Amino acid sequence: MPAYLKNLFFIPGLFFVLTGIAQTNATIKISFINTINHQPVVLDSTSYTNCWNETFTISKLKYYISNIQLQTADKKVIREENSYHLIDEADTASKSFSFLVPSNKYTSLSFLIGVDSLKNVSGAQTGALDPLNGMFWTWNTGYIMFKMEGYSPQSVAVNNKIEYHIGGFSGANTALRKIELNFGSNEVLSKTQQPTEIIIQTDIGKIWNATHDLKITQTPVCTTPGALAAGIADNYSKAFEIIKIISQ
Amino acid sequence: MKIKTTISLLLLVIIASAFIYDHPPQKLTYLKLVIPKGWPKPPANIFASNPLTEEGFQLGRKLFYDGRLSKDGNFSCAGCHQQFAAFATYDHDFSHGFDNSFTTRNAPGLFNIAWQKELHWDGGINHIEVQPLTPLTATNEMAETLPGVLKKLQADTAYIRLFKNAFSDGIINSQHMLKALAQFTGSIQSYNTKYDKVKRGEATFTVSEQLGYKTFLASCNSCHKEPLFTDNSFRNNGLVVNEKLKDKGRMTITGNPADSLKFKVPSLRNVTLTFPYMHDGRFNSPGKVIDHYRSGIDITQPTVDTLLKKRIAISNQEKIDLLSFLLTLKDEQMIHDPRFQQPD
Repeated sequence: MPAYLKNLFFIPGLFFVLTGIAQTNATIKISFINTINHQPVVLDSTSYTNCWNETFTISKLKYYISNIQLQTADKKVIREENSYHLIDEADTASKSFSFLVPSNKYTSLSFLIGVDSLKNVSGAQTGALDPLNGMFWTWNTGYIMFKMEGYSPQSVAVNNKIEYHIGGFSGANTALRKIELNFGSNEVLSKTQQPTEIIIQTDIGKIWNATHDLKITQTPVCTTPGALAAGIADNYSKAFEIIKIISQ
Repeated sequence: MKIKTTISLLLLVIIASAFIYDHPPQKLTYLKLVIPKGWPKPPANIFASNPLTEEGFQLGRKLFYDGRLSKDGNFSCAGCHQQFAAFATYDHDFSHGFDNSFTTRNAPGLFNIAWQKELHWDGGINHIEVQPLTPLTATNEMAETLPGVLKKLQADTAYIRLFKNAFSDGIINSQHMLKALAQFTGSIQSYNTKYDKVKRGEATFTVSEQLGYKTFLASCNSCHKEPLFTDNSFRNNGLVVNEKLKDKGRMTITGNPADSLKFKVPSLRNVTLTFPYMHDGRFNSPGKVIDHYRSGIDITQPTVDTLLKKRIAISNQEKIDLLSFLLTLKDEQMIHDPRFQQPD
């Protein structure tokens, strides 16, 4: 008998054991919807207008969400294990993910936009952090925390490109931003077998004016860590908000 | 309840043994980095999350010598990091890359990497494992893509076997490729020069070498600190800026104007093999480098190192003796070590 068939017999047993362990856990699903001017982002084809009346299209939109934590009503912090997610607008599956948490009453959620400094200095990684994903600098070690590319007639860069590769994990100009989102009156009461979905919407247009006024005309490109990158990170850190919590 | 627990435990044991049956425990031969007596401790353990094994080392060695890691098959790591040149490019200011291109900096020798906190002339790379991504993807070096390399490796039966030998799940991915390369390059060590043998009481300096050593200690050792012969700092040694390259060095990485024109202090180990010298390979002999420090430093540059502001006074006789001392830093054992040679 082949080994894999032999192993098949143990699957019911495995299920039995696992359900025993998972009994007090519940599923949290987090979904991201990237929008501009209240419309879901459509790559390449749609032309958008920002607050400065500059027009642009988006060809790439990717960012890291890491170190997800949930806080319970009694102030306990629950961390997602190995919490690294690459949200890629071009890949629907990447825009939502689930993990298990103990059943409890939760009041808020926090995460980093980007990859924590430790993983930036710890050598070759895999999974969401694989340099294969095109989010890793080879000239100046570190992850690109947020990447947006596109075109704008207002851009003076070659081929009217817009290119924001935002990174840098240390010092005054770090691009890491911690986001805390309260559930407010919609406390998440997470119970066994009841997946709860938290839908986060991003307003990508905030890149140009949330905290700092930035114009495509002046800064169509940012591909190195520094003050500009940190300013863009300030801006997009204001783009994340919870629009819906769906409890079954 | 008790029965349920017993059954669960029993099942766990059976499942675990079935798992072991399918994946026999690997026979890995663990290796250790040599920390020579009297040397400082490496700043970090480069093998902390990448246990050094014979199997990983041999995979890394094959990868290091394999031209298929480049786009057109012509450029292996070893193409520019030649063992006989202490893993620098022999007699080249710049190395050759894909499509008749040149690199923009001189290829450094590779040895004692475990003692380096940052790699590259500008210190832009913070971990040995991610360094190969630079030459692999640079259009003027190997010009490949990560998916491109992995596809070639995944289709090669020899690599399928070697990855299985080295890593428990045998997966051919970028992480395993990079870790294996790090095991090979991180194992290249230089600690058996004549200088080392003198320090261990196994050899004696000639009179000229001894005098040169004295000059070295007085004039060079504050930056090229023994026993590594570098303090791994970044300094501006007052080279006139190459107007074509306009290389700002460390400032490219930090963005700090105070780091303008600073480059990493290279080790003087194997210095007679790693010519030409400086980040752009502008000097082709150790004598010319000494002359630069004696009279060539552009002391008007604002970031020029404080230790060099008055240049370095070295007499002609001292220069001759210094040159004989530098010859004692050649590591014949390392450059002929069969373990570092191209595998069969």
